Amino acid sequence: MLNEKTLKAIRNLEKDYPDKRSLVMGALWAAQRCGSGVLTKEDLESIAERLDISPVEVQAAATFYTMYNVLEPVGRYHIQVCHNIPCNLLDAEQIVAQVEKSLGIKNGETTADGKFSLTTVECLGSCGTAPMMQINDEYYENLTADKVDQILESLE
Amino acid sequence: MPKFTINGMDLTVPEGTLILDAARKAGFTIPTFCYQADLIGIGSCRMCLVQVEGQKKLIASCVTPVMEGMNVLTESESVKNARADMLEFLLANHGLDCPVCDKGGECELQDMVYTYGPHKGRYAEQKYRWHEKDYIISPVIIKNSNRCVQCMKCVRVCKEVVGQDVLDGIGRGEIQEETTFFRGILDCDQDGNCIEVCPVGCFMRVPFRYKTRPWDLKKADTICPYCGTGCRMVIEERDGLVIRSRAQLGVGINSETLCARGRFGYDIVHHPERIKEPLIKRNGTLEPVSWEEAFTEIETRLQVAEPGQIGGIASARLANEELYLFQKLLRGMLGSPNVDSSTRWDPRAVSGYVAATEMASGGVSLFDAMRSDCVLVIGTYLSDENPVTDYMVRRMARENGTAVFIASPRAMKLDSTARLSARHLPGREKEFLEAATRAVAGTTPKPSADPVGPAALSIEGLDDLLGDAGLDAEIFGQMAGQLQTAKTVAILAGTEFLRFPQGSGALAALRDGLRSAGKEVLIVPILDRPNQRGAWEMGVHPGLEPGYRQAETAGLGSAAMLDAAAEGDLRALYIVGEDPLTSCPDPDVAREALAKLDFLLVQDAFLTETVQMADCVLPGACFSEKEGTFTNQEGRVQRLERLMRPVGRSKRDLRILLSVGRRFDPAFGADIDSAQDGFSEIRKSVGMYANVSLDFVNQRNTANELDNRPALVGSSGETVPLPEAGPASPPVADDRRPYTLMTGNHLFHSGRITGKSAILSGLLKGPVAEISEKDAADLAVSSGDRIRISGDRHEAVLTARTRRGSKRGVVFIDENFDTISVNRFFEKGCYLARVDITKI
Amino acid sequence: MEPILLKNVGRPDSHRLEHYVQSGGYRGIQNALKLKRDTIIQMMKDSGLRGRGGAGFSTGLKWSFIPKDPNLDKYLACNADESEPGTFKDRVIIEHDPHLLIEGIMIASYAIGAATAYIYIRGEYEFGARRLEQAIEEACANGYLGRRIFGSDHNLDVIVHRGAGAYICGEETALLESLEGLRAQPRFRPPFPALAGLYGKPTVINNVETLACVPSILDRGPEWFAAIGPQKSPGPKLFGVSGHVKKPGVYELSMDVTLRELIFDHCGGMRDHRAFKAVIPGGASAPMMPAADLDTPLDFESIAAKGSMLGSAGVIVMDESTCMVKTAFVINRFFSHESCGKCTPCRDGTPWISQILKRIENGQGREGDVELLESLCTGIFGRCFCALGDAAVMALRGALTHFGEEFAYHIAHKKCAVTN
Ligand SMILES: Cc1cc2nc3c(=O)[nH]c(=O)nc-3n(C[C@H](O)[C@H](O)[C@H](O)COP(=O)(O)O)c2cc1C
Ligand code: SF4
Ligand code: FES
Repeated sequence: MLNEKTLKAIRNLEKDYPDKRSLVMGALWAAQRCGSGVLTKEDLESIAERLDISPVEVQAAATFYTMYNVLEPVGRYHIQVCHNIPCNLLDAEQIVAQVEKSLGIKNGETTADGKFSLTTVECLGSCGTAPMMQINDEYYENLTADKVDQILESLE
Repeated sequence: MPKFTINGMDLTVPEGTLILDAARKAGFTIPTFCYQADLIGIGSCRMCLVQVEGQKKLIASCVTPVMEGMNVLTESESVKNARADMLEFLLANHGLDCPVCDKGGECELQDMVYTYGPHKGRYAEQKYRWHEKDYIISPVIIKNSNRCVQCMKCVRVCKEVVGQDVLDGIGRGEIQEETTFFRGILDCDQDGNCIEVCPVGCFMRVPFRYKTRPWDLKKADTICPYCGTGCRMVIEERDGLVIRSRAQLGVGINSETLCARGRFGYDIVHHPERIKEPLIKRNGTLEPVSWEEAFTEIETRLQVAEPGQIGGIASARLANEELYLFQKLLRGMLGSPNVDSSTRWDPRAVSGYVAATEMASGGVSLFDAMRSDCVLVIGTYLSDENPVTDYMVRRMARENGTAVFIASPRAMKLDSTARLSARHLPGREKEFLEAATRAVAGTTPKPSADPVGPAALSIEGLDDLLGDAGLDAEIFGQMAGQLQTAKTVAILAGTEFLRFPQGSGALAALRDGLRSAGKEVLIVPILDRPNQRGAWEMGVHPGLEPGYRQAETAGLGSAAMLDAAAEGDLRALYIVGEDPLTSCPDPDVAREALAKLDFLLVQDAFLTETVQMADCVLPGACFSEKEGTFTNQEGRVQRLERLMRPVGRSKRDLRILLSVGRRFDPAFGADIDSAQDGFSEIRKSVGMYANVSLDFVNQRNTANELDNRPALVGSSGETVPLPEAGPASPPVADDRRPYTLMTGNHLFHSGRITGKSAILSGLLKGPVAEISEKDAADLAVSSGDRIRISGDRHEAVLTARTRRGSKRGVVFIDENFDTISVNRFFEKGCYLARVDITKI
Repeated sequence: MEPILLKNVGRPDSHRLEHYVQSGGYRGIQNALKLKRDTIIQMMKDSGLRGRGGAGFSTGLKWSFIPKDPNLDKYLACNADESEPGTFKDRVIIEHDPHLLIEGIMIASYAIGAATAYIYIRGEYEFGARRLEQAIEEACANGYLGRRIFGSDHNLDVIVHRGAGAYICGEETALLESLEGLRAQPRFRPPFPALAGLYGKPTVINNVETLACVPSILDRGPEWFAAIGPQKSPGPKLFGVSGHVKKPGVYELSMDVTLRELIFDHCGGMRDHRAFKAVIPGGASAPMMPAADLDTPLDFESIAAKGSMLGSAGVIVMDESTCMVKTAFVINRFFSHESCGKCTPCRDGTPWISQILKRIENGQGREGDVELLESLCTGIFGRCFCALGDAAVMALRGALTHFGEEFAYHIAHKKCAVTN
């Protein structure tokens, strides 16, 4: 079930669009951010119900976009290292390797304590400060292996 | 009208014609996957690429209209290369499991690769697999995504035509998969149109799986036996078993669509309760006899009764030829005017409905109706009762921009297509229509403060009408306003007018009111039996002879016949294909009446309760076993084709009727030896059928002209007068019992016959009681809960199902289940009852 | 060149309304509100402003396609999806000078008669999205947005819509689908968005940088704007430079700057003293250009004449240490990951290419792979529904054309010619 915070966020969006279907992305964001970080089957069903569309349409939208975590939980800190060409030129692979080494997980995995998840992602629009990674909403730029370790250590 | 050239051929086509359509019409083949004329074009599969001189890129001909001066090449090297390349891409992740694929032999991908190459695959990388095993998404649909070509037709047909949204593309890019919500089991129309449109073996029929290869099937082109829509379909058998029925793109008014009944209800043919030999009751039990014995028995026993003491009831599922002969047998041979085609409706109600819908003036194409500015759907649960008519309305409303209005107590799927839906109380079609008539006559639907002047006069009493009908004044006002401004109006009027005949007069009044306001009006009756219109036009009605001629002496209708039997005034009854014991309002009364008869002759394909009471039983044929014609609700006459011989010693009904008749007069039907002869006779004696064309070739029609107009019946030249007001009216409010019970057909069941289909019965285990979502909330009931419905005469415990948007205070129960005798709730002649609901 | 788009960037509180107004902001919209809509559109045409989203289409012309019927709802959609690899210029404006964008949106909305504008911002730019929302709030609080802006009878709501990770949403019709709550697969054109766009209503879609150019045109006049840089590609332009240069970043220059000047003068030359190898001038979609083309000016036509495109002006610079097979793989991996799945050649062709490139890169190349790649490029190019598939091919073809021998070496020797 969607919590009160999510519902309120969805209600706030209503005035922004002439058609309720347009709320899908905002509602998914709300459910993911105000909830546990994962979108469950029930979340998608409730959103469908609120927007008067069918659940499969909500699932279709949710799974088209990579930032919605449908059924797949991510750690409290979601580390996303850019591996596209500008970052790659400045050795993003080494950054990935460093995160893997420090956390003892592979790309696509979550640490056993559920604190960190690591994913490689496509260009995040920070190419002038490559290599870079995003942890939750925060950008970390001009990375080096040392810097990666410092950042990871600084996270509670 | 742009002029252009395709492969050197000069053509002129109407503005907006797609290159693809123009090319196909001119005889050129362009392969496609995602294109389908009646779906919104998406231009995604890229199979239809053609070269247009002067354009750098190849053009998707399925979404690009022809432009003046274009020079189109459909067979250039680059076009051919593109086709081969697209196929190679599609095969990259394709499962290539053709040997075990149900679609093998009729797979569009197979055929296309065969025709357009590539004949050598270069894909040597890892294939993506969506899943290992095929998975079930419904009791009748099974899925294999590894074969998908991503044409999206399944998703599109479900959304755009069926009006369900239960399929969509999940995931993105190479790994996207068109499927259900988390691959779950569908609770949908189960019509399998997704299977029909799938070009490959991605959507498959569960009952057909691994049964055969398509080239081993024998097929017949026929008409669906389940409702008045009149869908064309192909039924197929192997080793004497019907194992598939399907629709064909571009064929029939339904094109590729069928509903669950049409697509999955074919297995009734092999029901264990088929009667396979003639029977005569001896010492209380029905014993097999020879046909000769049976006919002799009939001859002897019928001769005893006086002409007026004989009655005949024939089902509206019989073909025109059979119905025609039946009434001829009763009226001519046996001299009895007592003939009727339904046990459900009063013959006066039928006359009124025929009069109001102007059936005697000839056929009205639904395609024409849907070109009107406004279409009012009233007195029918179109989405459940005539599902494919619902699809057609939805599709054409979108294409033509028609404003669809619905007036009904229950919500229905079509509401999502409708511009406005008005909810009225059950049986209040009359009040709705009267209010609409007044509104159309007045300038504004709101009563004017000015007491003089025509506007005020004509709208007098509007508020009372709206109150009686339980209508929302706001919605009604909007509807009325749009009706006022429309130039052309069509009304789709269903069988509620037969239950609540007082509505017919109001329908006729609205029709006339609209016409006198200068509007064009078309009315299409919406009927729930495949040949109900044919039955009336063949004269199977106590007051109407073939072609709607008024009978000189009106006979008794079904209910009156039973009354007469109970009184001992009717001695013999010949029933073909009807089962009054289950369809009559009061089964106990019917049972007593039938028991009083001297001779009950029943001809049927199935062992019904009525059959069990018969003195003599004649085994008739099922739809796949016979020929003849049906007249659909629009008045379109369509041919049935026979797939197989009748089972056991049963016979086609036409043959049986001829044999019975010839016992009394060897010259009976002398010119008739086949259904074709039967139709020739109909042409001669029923004027409105004289010029009907049966030439329709059931073949893929590249021009997508589905509206086969030469098949429409002509005008009879007769006027059927509106009878005085009929009997039934809604019961008065009763505080003790707050809900009104109404009954009707279910999406999977129209009449009792579909109940014989094991496949259809598998879709819904038993009857449900449907209530509005709001009432459900008040009662703290949710779908799936058990509830007790109790009325003055009867009570029943059923599973509840809630429906959003239905009128409050209304309970609906499907009437076609053997497990509940809904009619017991009603007083004789009544179709509504006050009931209580309690959660248990 | 005098900074126009970046003039506030780097100043404290550059994102605040107060600061923007102090530096002369919101004058353009006030000028605009005194003018007829047609006059503004004519000014846009006269300025010669061309879209900065990639295609370089005349902005004035685009606005002029919107029907004039005042009874029709119209929309403006600002394309802030900025997902083209190597592109990070719009982000600078969004984060540091959001009011510049909002003023541009106001003028555009007024000119086309739109009362609602959506900013479609990629989901990853959460910081930017919040900045925009704050700026909108400030503008609303000051009566700049909402009902009767600046006392005119024009109303305008600006709404920030977050994407959620899909490059294709930058394609304008996919962006509209996404705004409508659907899977972002491009729509067939015609009808063009100018006639039937968002919710079927006339819609203009403009890039962030394009809209950020608008206030100065209204403030200082179209002639002034048209006089900046080359005649056919006038006005200030943001170049996002990344890769192996000493000073990567966003540079505001006129489009007569050459690649050589950009890399060696403005960006301080190559990093770590390694030699220049190739440059991608317009985001990953643009084919790479070799050293021989370094003197090409960065205007739309000149770059196109060299077989590449200015695109989003995301300039990615590569030095001699770069393996072109790997580059091709990384870029192609991106396109196949982002293929929306609608059309056959892109959906099934780009992942095929990726797998082959990955094999070659991993030393498992086979004889015939290059020919197969070339043939797959032919199979895809010009046959896709939208430009994404074509972009994937162009990028790969660029590498194959200029560095074919590296691919051959990789296949023959099962290892890289450059890195070892
Ligand atoms: C695959 C693809 C991705 C695109 N991505 C972007 C983008 O991220 N940002 C952008 O402004 N334009 C992008 N575009 C271009 C837009 O479709 C559109 O042309 C542009 O937003 C128009 O704005 P402009 O006229 O101001 O340039 C993309 C186009 C394609 C085909
Ligand atoms: S080229 Fe085709 S599959 Fe690729 S993104 Fe465009 S429409 Fe989607
Ligand atoms: S390539 Fe990494 S931020 Fe752009």
